[in-house]
Amino acid sequence: MAKAAQGLVQRLVQRGPELIGAAVTYSKPRLATFWYYAKVELAPPTPAEIPRAIDSMKGLVRAFQSGRLAQLTVKDALRNGLVATEVLMWFYIGEIIGKRGIIGYNV
Amino acid sequence: MIPPVQVSPLIKFTRYSALLVGMIYGKKRYDYLKPIAEEERRVEAAEKKKREELERIAKELAEGSPSV
Repeated sequence: MAKAAQGLVQRLVQRGPELIGAAVTYSKPRLATFWYYAKVELAPPTPAEIPRAIDSMKGLVRAFQSGRLAQLTVKDALRNGLVATEVLMWFYIGEIIGKRGIIGYNV
Repeated sequence: MIPPVQVSPLIKFTRYSALLVGMIYGKKRYDYLKPIAEEERRVEAAEKKKREELERIAKELAEGSPSV
C-alpha cells in the first residue's frame, strides 16, 4: 500500500511537468476562443449604451402596457425567458461575491 | 470563427446591475445574519457550560452517596 502510494507520488513527480504541459495545450485554444467571444459578449455596458438600455426598458414597459408582449411567438417568449434566467443567475453570482463564500451564509 | 454576437445593451445593463444588486444584497444579508449567529453560539456555549456543571454535580453526588 505504502509502496504503491510511493510509486504513484514518484510517477506524479516525474510526469508532473508533462501533465501540466498537457493541461496548458488543452486549455490554451479553448481559453483563446472564450476570450474572443467574452471580450465582446460579456463586456459591461459602456456609458453610451446605458441610455439606450434605459430606452429599451421603457420600450419593454410600453410593449407590456399595449399588450404587444402577448403577441410574441412561443419561441421568442421561451428565448426571452432563458435570457431573463441568465440575468437572474448574475444576481446569485453577485450574492456569492457579496457574502464572500460559495456555501450558504457561513456565519 | 463566427463573429461574436452584439449583445443588446438592455441585457448587458440588467446583467451588471443584477450583479451589483446581488453583491449589495449578499453583503447586507451576511452582516444581518452574522451577529444573530454569534449570539446563538454564545447562548449555546453558556448552556453547555451549565449542563456540564450540573452533570458534574450529579456524578459527584452519585459517587459520594454511599459514604454520606
